[in-house]
Amino acid sequence: MQPFTTLTAIAAPLDIAKIDTGMIVPGRFQRLPRRPGHADYARVFLHDLRFDENEQPRAEFILNHAAYREAGILVTGPDFGCGSSREAAAYATLDSGVRALIGASFGDVYRGNCMQNGVLTIVLPAPVISGLMTQLKAAPGAAITVDLALQTVTAPDGSTHGFDIDATRKERLLKGLDDVGVTLQHLAQIETFEKQYRADMPWLASIL
Amino acid sequence: MNPPVSIFDRLWARHVIVADATGAGGEDLLFVDRNLVHEGGTFLAFDQMRGEGRQVLKPKQTLAVTDHYLPSTNRATAPGSIANAEIRRVVEALDHNAREFGIEHYGVHHPRQGIIHVIGPELGWTQPGLLITCCDSHTATHGALGALPIPIGQSNQLRHVLATQTIWQKKPKTMRISIEGTLPAQVSAKDVILSIIARIGIGGASGHAVEYAGSAIRALSMEGRMTLCNMSIEAGARIGMIAPDDTTYAYLHGRPFAPKDTDWDQALAYWRTLPSDADARFDRELSLNTSELAPMVSWGTSPEDSSPITGSVPDPASMADAEKRGRVQRALDYMKLAPGTPLAGINIDRVFIGSCTNARIEDLRAAAEVVKGRKAVIPAMVVPGSSAVKRQAESEGLDRIFLAAGFEWRDASCSMCGGSNGDTVAAGQRSASTTNRNFEGRQGPGALTHIMSPAMAAAAAVTGRLTDVRTL
Ligand code: SF4
Repeated sequence: MQPFTTLTAIAAPLDIAKIDTGMIVPGRFQRLPRRPGHADYARVFLHDLRFDENEQPRAEFILNHAAYREAGILVTGPDFGCGSSREAAAYATLDSGVRALIGASFGDVYRGNCMQNGVLTIVLPAPVISGLMTQLKAAPGAAITVDLALQTVTAPDGSTHGFDIDATRKERLLKGLDDVGVTLQHLAQIETFEKQYRADMPWLASIL
Repeated sequence: MNPPVSIFDRLWARHVIVADATGAGGEDLLFVDRNLVHEGGTFLAFDQMRGEGRQVLKPKQTLAVTDHYLPSTNRATAPGSIANAEIRRVVEALDHNAREFGIEHYGVHHPRQGIIHVIGPELGWTQPGLLITCCDSHTATHGALGALPIPIGQSNQLRHVLATQTIWQKKPKTMRISIEGTLPAQVSAKDVILSIIARIGIGGASGHAVEYAGSAIRALSMEGRMTLCNMSIEAGARIGMIAPDDTTYAYLHGRPFAPKDTDWDQALAYWRTLPSDADARFDRELSLNTSELAPMVSWGTSPEDSSPITGSVPDPASMADAEKRGRVQRALDYMKLAPGTPLAGINIDRVFIGSCTNARIEDLRAAAEVVKGRKAVIPAMVVPGSSAVKRQAESEGLDRIFLAAGFEWRDASCSMCGGSNGDTVAAGQRSASTTNRNFEGRQGPGALTHIMSPAMAAAAAVTGRLTDVRTL
């Protein structure tokens, strides 16, 4: 997993409420294989919002505007990522080049999946979000800076907003450790635990 | 003296390898005893492991089975004969991945094949005290045996369990739901759980590990307990458990993965230490009176939209809360139901008896009991929860009862529960279903789903309407 330290990127105002995981990755793409090193899921990110029935980009959709092609940050409406727990939604977000999402609220599972894949989700109060939306709409292509260590978001107008994040999540994102990486740091403890566990419950050995 | 603890707290503590260092509600690293994998979206986990060059750390502690995408008919030449190429690829991928990573896999032709939450307990793979992960929301089913069930995601979380045999989890709060007394006639575990969800709402137990307790729960069979725990997630709880007792031990004894001989004696002695201490404290308590319970049916698009069959479709106009009023109105629009319509008598187009909620042997017996000597007046099908349930039902002659009544008798799979295998309810059709979710489109785009017990679904099949099984 790529570490997340600071990010300055074009931010797109995705001012739509309740974009659920089924809109982030429509169900029909859930069986798409994902090869490591390929951004296989970039194409399906918000697919039906981005493309029409003939696979043509919808000109009116904000992420299709030239100013936002390279957006690395999305400022989202409330409840972005609610709905089913499909992890593909987080893959698609990452594969599309988005590394941070800023919104008033997110679907819980989606949020966890994003963090696990190196995509930072930041919750800020609704008035701050609408302020960001206004600024981004007024200056398409404007950048936002996210500093994870300091836990701050710096808006295009220079105002800075602090955010909360679980200490464990923060640590892992900063170091680029996904869960497996973190766990393998505890390998010796796992082995000691298991030895004792097996000694205490010898009957479990029958399947091992 | 140690302070009194609940079974949940006891099992959680037993599995902590690395305790949360923040001391403030962070995650513990837990040891995973056994892990279950189905074909669903799990190829993503294996894809990623392959790319990283990772191995499965303890392949013998994982068991794989195909259930979600398998056809429920004409399986002799499956998976090669599965017409939909994407579905075929998913089914074949698990076979391939299991082989490559050295995991036991019960594929389409294996005698132990079945729905993942049915075969775990049935094979004794699920046991009291074990921490069991499964990449599926209905993992709480395994808690019915006094195991600690943890549902995980199908990609990253599964990859983590496969690669490390552990899981990072934040400890949830605890909640005890107690039901004392005797269940009225024809009130099944399904009616109990639907009543609970109707009472507390679809998120009512969010963030909590639920223990079901009380004499009415104790009196349930293992099948009933599994139905109950299965739908914990519909109440918002990822974990649902029932303390093991003699019913549990009798159920497990002699099953293929159950301990044998002196191993059994040792295991049993341990299992008896697991139940919650008498004065264990829970963060929340809820109790239900059995006299309030009746056969339930759902009328809306969430399991909380359920009422006793003697009731009527509610009137959103009478609801004080604006958000609820809007939600119920949308549900009724989708379900094409008018406020005030008596539930009993609503016409049904098709019946599905199946799923990990209600396709165990006892469920099929309950449905067959109602169907016996009657005819289905609408299309109806039974999809046993496992190949073993199917064989057992056939040895008891249940298949002949269903077939004589005009039901279809199919092969074990998830089938019309979520429709992943192509078994769907047509748009605009109204189904009576023993499944766990009546969300919009759950059984197919535009499908109108009413969830209920097997006996109630059988009653709907023979009358063509939602029917109070007690009046048949
Ligand atoms: S039967 Fe339904 S709920 Fe159960 S595992 Fe299969 S699809 Fe999921």
